[in-house]
Amino acid sequence: MCVALQNIPPTLRTRNKSFCKAMATYLEFIQQNEECDGVRFSWNVWPSSRLEATRMVVPLACLLTPLKERLDLPPVQYEPVLCSRPTCKAVLNPLCQVDYRAKLWACNFCFQRNQFPPAYAGISEVNQPAELMPQFSTIEYIVQRGLQMPLIFLYVVDTCLEEEDLQALKESLQMSLSLLPPDALVGLITFGRMVQVHELSCEGISKSYVFRGTKDLTAKQIQDMLGLSRPSVPMQQGRPLQTPEQPVISSRFLQPVHEIDMNLTDLLGELQRDPWPVTQGKRPLRSTGVALSIAVGLLEGTFPNTGARIMLFTGGPPTQGPGMVVGDELKTPIRSWHDIEKDNARFMKKATKHYETLANRSAANGHCIDIYACALDQTGLLEMKCCANVTGGHMVMGDSFNTSLFKQTFQRVFSKGYNGEFRMAFGATLDVKTSRELKIAGAIGPCTSLNSKGPCVSENELGIGGTSQWKICSLDPSTTLAIYFEVVNQHNAPIPQGGRGAVQFVTQYQHSTTQRRIRVTTVARNWADAQTQLQHIEAAFDQEAAAVLMARLGVYRAESEEGPDVLRWLDRQLIRLCQKFGQYNKDDPNSFRLSESFSLYPQFIFHLRRSPFLQVFNNSPDESSYYRHHFARQDLTQSLIMIQPILYAYSFHGPPEPVLLDSSSILPDRILLMDTFFQIVIYLGETIAQWQKAGYQDMPEYENFKHLLQAPLDDAQEILQTRFPMPRYIHTEHGGSQARFLLSKVNPSQTHNNLYAWGQESGAPILTDDVSLQVFMDHLKKLAVSSAS
Amino acid sequence: MAESYVKPGNQERGWNDPPQFSYGLQAQAGGSRRTPLTRRAPAPPAGAPPGQPHGAPASPAPCPGRPSAACPEQECNVSPDTVLAPLRAALDACRATVQKQVCNDIGRRLTVLEDAWAQGKLSAPVRKRMSLLVQELQQQHWDAADEIHRSLMVDHVNEVSQWMVGVKRLIAETRALPTGETDSADTETRALWKLRCPSQTGLDLQGHGWIQDQG
Repeated sequence: MCVALQNIPPTLRTRNKSFCKAMATYLEFIQQNEECDGVRFSWNVWPSSRLEATRMVVPLACLLTPLKERLDLPPVQYEPVLCSRPTCKAVLNPLCQVDYRAKLWACNFCFQRNQFPPAYAGISEVNQPAELMPQFSTIEYIVQRGLQMPLIFLYVVDTCLEEEDLQALKESLQMSLSLLPPDALVGLITFGRMVQVHELSCEGISKSYVFRGTKDLTAKQIQDMLGLSRPSVPMQQGRPLQTPEQPVISSRFLQPVHEIDMNLTDLLGELQRDPWPVTQGKRPLRSTGVALSIAVGLLEGTFPNTGARIMLFTGGPPTQGPGMVVGDELKTPIRSWHDIEKDNARFMKKATKHYETLANRSAANGHCIDIYACALDQTGLLEMKCCANVTGGHMVMGDSFNTSLFKQTFQRVFSKGYNGEFRMAFGATLDVKTSRELKIAGAIGPCTSLNSKGPCVSENELGIGGTSQWKICSLDPSTTLAIYFEVVNQHNAPIPQGGRGAVQFVTQYQHSTTQRRIRVTTVARNWADAQTQLQHIEAAFDQEAAAVLMARLGVYRAESEEGPDVLRWLDRQLIRLCQKFGQYNKDDPNSFRLSESFSLYPQFIFHLRRSPFLQVFNNSPDESSYYRHHFARQDLTQSLIMIQPILYAYSFHGPPEPVLLDSSSILPDRILLMDTFFQIVIYLGETIAQWQKAGYQDMPEYENFKHLLQAPLDDAQEILQTRFPMPRYIHTEHGGSQARFLLSKVNPSQTHNNLYAWGQESGAPILTDDVSLQVFMDHLKKLAVSSAS
Repeated sequence: MAESYVKPGNQERGWNDPPQFSYGLQAQAGGSRRTPLTRRAPAPPAGAPPGQPHGAPASPAPCPGRPSAACPEQECNVSPDTVLAPLRAALDACRATVQKQVCNDIGRRLTVLEDAWAQGKLSAPVRKRMSLLVQELQQQHWDAADEIHRSLMVDHVNEVSQWMVGVKRLIAETRALPTGETDSADTETRALWKLRCPSQTGLDLQGHGWIQDQG
């Protein structure tokens, strides 16, 4: 809770003796804040001037998990009280000053004095509404007003699949009808060379509208052709086709699942592979671009501004019409990174533009687009990624629809939380309010700007900026945004009034029960003068959050334009941070020290530099898009696993223990379990593998060995049971070809170049010329202490 | 309640495909937070998980660290009638209030279930769990019955997909019975549908090769 920080006694704020104790307090504070508010700030004591803030190198920013699961947070059944200043409208919160006698409250953001509404007449010191109590720094309101619309699921299904894949996909889709909320609306579009929009009726009739896959149609044309537009009702800001007092809850193409499930099961069961012949040496003609365009247009015309998922299932790249990514000649391969660098990717720009337009239209209507792409070759995720990234949709990449990776990932889309409610939420807007000394620079995550230029918007943009509001069309309890701030208080100005700065996050969304809800989180942090109180700021540095926040910025830059320059930018930032916060004598690298709150940061950056989020080598453009998609939305814990995978060792020498992600950890008598988020790797050391081959685990006298082999499998299973998306699972051993997954991730402290210098044989040499963490740190120290830089 | 088992992934089709968890295990998993990974796992159960007909992949599948469901092979002496008779009775109870066409559709699916059962196309776990489902239905435990239906759809979709949706609908319609009347607006909409396509008959279930070979 927010008060914890103030509770640190002044004696603990001195650097030397009590520093470690203060650190422990800060770690607890950070953890409490994450659990209570879903917020992790890079800095937990804020530099009080703009100039000093820029000298901190890592920006003042936070990771926000707007709908973080809170078991102990029952929503309240009334509306939030808002500040009456039109440009502020902050929500009443525990940081507000309250005059109980005059029934007034002062906004802690704009200092406006507000009357309490009549319902609060009985308010007193001992009779407070929940939102004024300190433990409700995060609170959720259920709003009664407004229409409750059912959730909508529109399946867009590629039929250019192999028989086995199509069968598996059909079964998964049939299965999903049992997992959907019963009153949800469902629709079906199938596509191959043509696009078919299926009319769903309870009468067992199958009728569909067929569209050519080569011609792009405007929203208007699509709606006309499907008979969705009625001349009498203007389509602006679309209230759907019927009269306002009787809201549309279905159309011919979208029907409640509990009414249509039997017919839709049959319809799905009947689906055949695309009937158009595919000759030798050709790819099937796949009209993904038009199919998606029709899906977006259909929902736009019928259900704007309500929660909806367009779920695209595709088994290959779009090969015709708008949005095509590659031609149908198999002899021309789909674009690679090499082609893109050589400006030799013919269709990329045009296709990307097509999908970007669709993504933005879909986001404007509050609808999300999921992409489930299962194929051995690339499917065009690079071009289509914006559809999922901008709308908060899922992106899943598998080899085949007939794999447990796809099937279980898809099941988990419909998973439920502790309370038995679906984990998915829709149509959220996130509104950020700040104290006057703070402005909002931008956000990075699965969101889009609402272009709301209030007084707390900074001119300097980091990520998606120029706004204090963003739309998140689909989110779940783990969806996490990075929000970047700018301190605007002038240098030499006194520490701002009250000694603390505050930020409020207001997330309005459609709950899976179709209720409208508002989650409000209000947090505050102390200001400190960086010239006299740098040690306070330093001790309150959250290096884990900082690493993830810098990584998001780096990946955002890499995605937007800069490519290799990102690594140089990251390096420069790291060197500057070390110069600012390291302790050293000029030009003496050996004297360089970082305090505990910074000690892990360089290592995170080292692994980030090697990660698939910044390195494209050995990954296809689709894979890079996939990895980056997930990196830009996971919470801090999962993001850190992605940056620096977790490595655990299992041996007879003691209980399982976390070990360094380093080649020296690869020992013959150990089993290693590595979690990279996308892969779970179990690696048997040389001796363990020999014992297993000799069958010791089957002999009763070696039962402990059997248990040793089992332990990492059980732990892996725990991860596999909950992770979304389902990771790949690799079981390998010393010398096995798949050991490469481990060897490519560990820090190559021992290589073929330096093996003998180590004198003894321990660990496993990695055959690489990559720089090791030790060399990286040596260079870093040298550059940080250099008087030349 | 549901089955707990882990099957190996499809290594033929998916590179390093992860193991597949049963619905019961996945539903449980919601409870645990991020794995601490410091815990020593308990000894694996003596019996291997049931029902792994095809050749195991090179990598061993993790056994569940908890007791798996009782081996279904031994207790599948459920006769089709003990399952079908109550379902048909439930359907008859619905006929008074539920639209005829829906009832016929459910009836058709029950026939598909009966045929599949008679032809030995249903595996032991499916037969066993169907009998449990019917028991729950008879005791008016709608949520429990619905949960079993979901677990069967997730774990055995290829066996049950054509007819289970009928059972699902039957659960929903039976559940709606005690409260009586159907929504009149709803009926109006349905009447409209009828007007639009008056002469359609139901689909022919047999003609489409849906009933797959279980081998």
